[in-house]
Amino acid sequence: MPIGRIERIERAVFRAIDEINEARAREQRLEKSSDTVLMGESGRLDSLGLVNLVVAVEEQVAEEFGVTINIADTRARLQTANPYQTVSSLVEYIASILARDPNG
Amino acid sequence: MDDQTFTCVVISDFNVDNAVGYLSNSPERPLVQATAAPFGQVIQVLMDDSMECWKHRPEMAIIWTQPHAVIESFRQLHDHKTVSLETILKEVDSYASVLMRVTHRVKCAIVPSWVVPASQRASSMQDMKHECGIANILMRMNLRLAEHLDQAPNMHLLNAQKWIEASGQRAVNPKLWYMAKVPFGNEVFREAAKDVKAVLRGIHGQAKKLILLDLDETLWGGTVGETGWERLLLGGHDPVGEAFVDFQQALKALSHRGILLGVVSKNQEDVALEAIEKHPEMVLRTKDLAGWKINWQDKAQNVVDLVSELNLGLQSVVFLDDNPLERARVREALPEVLVPEWPDDPMLYRQALFGLSCFDAPSVSQEDRERTQMYVTERERTRLKTRVGSLDEWLQTLEMMVKIDELNSAHLPRAVQLLNKTNQMNLSTRRMTESELSAWADRPDRRVWTVHVSDKFGSSGLTGLVSVEVREEIGTIVDYLLSCRVMGRKVEETMLAVAIQYLQSRSVTNIVAHYRPTKNNAPILEFWKRSGLRYDEATNAFHWDPDRSYPVPPQITLKVDAVTPGRPDQLETVRS
Repeated sequence: MPIGRIERIERAVFRAIDEINEARAREQRLEKSSDTVLMGESGRLDSLGLVNLVVAVEEQVAEEFGVTINIADTRARLQTANPYQTVSSLVEYIASILARDPNG
Repeated sequence: MDDQTFTCVVISDFNVDNAVGYLSNSPERPLVQATAAPFGQVIQVLMDDSMECWKHRPEMAIIWTQPHAVIESFRQLHDHKTVSLETILKEVDSYASVLMRVTHRVKCAIVPSWVVPASQRASSMQDMKHECGIANILMRMNLRLAEHLDQAPNMHLLNAQKWIEASGQRAVNPKLWYMAKVPFGNEVFREAAKDVKAVLRGIHGQAKKLILLDLDETLWGGTVGETGWERLLLGGHDPVGEAFVDFQQALKALSHRGILLGVVSKNQEDVALEAIEKHPEMVLRTKDLAGWKINWQDKAQNVVDLVSELNLGLQSVVFLDDNPLERARVREALPEVLVPEWPDDPMLYRQALFGLSCFDAPSVSQEDRERTQMYVTERERTRLKTRVGSLDEWLQTLEMMVKIDELNSAHLPRAVQLLNKTNQMNLSTRRMTESELSAWADRPDRRVWTVHVSDKFGSSGLTGLVSVEVREEIGTIVDYLLSCRVMGRKVEETMLAVAIQYLQSRSVTNIVAHYRPTKNNAPILEFWKRSGLRYDEATNAFHWDPDRSYPVPPQITLKVDAVTPGRPDQLETVRS
């Protein structure tokens, strides 16, 4: 995976974070950092927040790469490590999906 | 209103948390603090006053439903079962009667129109079929709902289809529905929040009232000072020329809704005015302009001067200019003025204008429609004033007439508009909705009059409002407000005479008026101090001895509408 692709994925995720932050209270907003914890004890996303992020990320990835991906499918749920734990784990998960997609 | 936060409850059959999020966290003014009513219990929430969501008395409610969720017969139609239009409309009537219950609980209720996005219904030749197609029936349901909601001045039906269209492919995301029961994409909620805030600004008289326009490359293509008006790019068989004409037509259409237009341009005045009057494809002529400042001075200063001449506040102004430097200058110098970013391409001008959600008003009155004409006649008056010697002589030549009407339903929207937007000549600066003013006036010890001013140049329309209250033999002038455009023409004294003479007829022992200072209403204090009433500075109260007469100024012909409801016999006594 070339480094440029990871950066582009991260950029798409950050744009998605910008988008969902618009509807979140200041203290609930997500930081645009690869270390940002999304889910779990110190995470800021509830279930609706996660759905919003998933939808926004899929739209931004489609815009960035021109391909439709599904990051909330059964494979995500079967992962041993939760792909939604942090921004970096989400970026890696998206990269793995794109790597499977010949157009990605 | 800028710092005011409106509390709002959102009632819906679907998960509205995202709508609540956009409403509560958008920095656009006014701020809204929204909460969601219990999910999926629309009818219960509307019927039951004791539900938790009503306990904190929200100022506003948004009732956003999906048609198949609240109109069972429409759900059947949606499943392509046979249902009569009559059955569906009866159900709409019942639902509307439940909706109306909310009008007494909140100051303002917003109902997004029913939509079924195209992606959620099978495309079919039947869609628009008379009295059975889903799209056809949905339109009829919305029209029926609009008829009902029109009966309540504090209920506003908003066009949700516009939000769907603006959101494009992102209007709906099935994932949001299946995973969270959210039927629309977040773009829709963002658009909805913008419109809700525009409604709030509109009903509180905070909509923009004046668009100040540059000329070169804004109203026409080219630089008139260099090419002359004959060579301007405007109209003709040219896509850009056509776009400039369309933009001007869109501006003129706004002026018919009461939005004033003005010009602030760096140009030679006579050259620019010649272009405005002579170019055959100009849509906007000087008669369409409330005023202009065409010179080589700083544009920010010109904006201040023109706005001051028009007796408006800077917060009422939108400034449109193709030049980013001029926009930056005005934005920095005058932060109250709305200076939107402006597209480089003239073909996008009209779209950009329509994208500004700052002109919304709950209704458009006759005064709104004629507002530009009023400013044009004001220019004529001012010209006359320079030719006539004293103020009295000038007033005599104007043939001023003041007509007093009891507040009635025909004048209510304009009266409320005036009540909410008058800053300078406003004694108590009470802000009220139509239903609040109507309820306040609906007591035998209170009277509310609207003041209509005209002269030989034409009518200035409903430009003033006075209200009084009599309690325990004390007569109080509660509201006293006047549009700045008729100031200094003895209308102020006439309004006082009307109020005082009425209170005298009620045998009060004291007549009092309380001045409530705001950062803008110093001009009214100046007038009241000159008015002859005794001013008690410690209490900010004015007093008048009821035994002393307060005549109507001789320059004024007073007309009292003798057929107004209420107590016409006593209103007759105010004639001078």
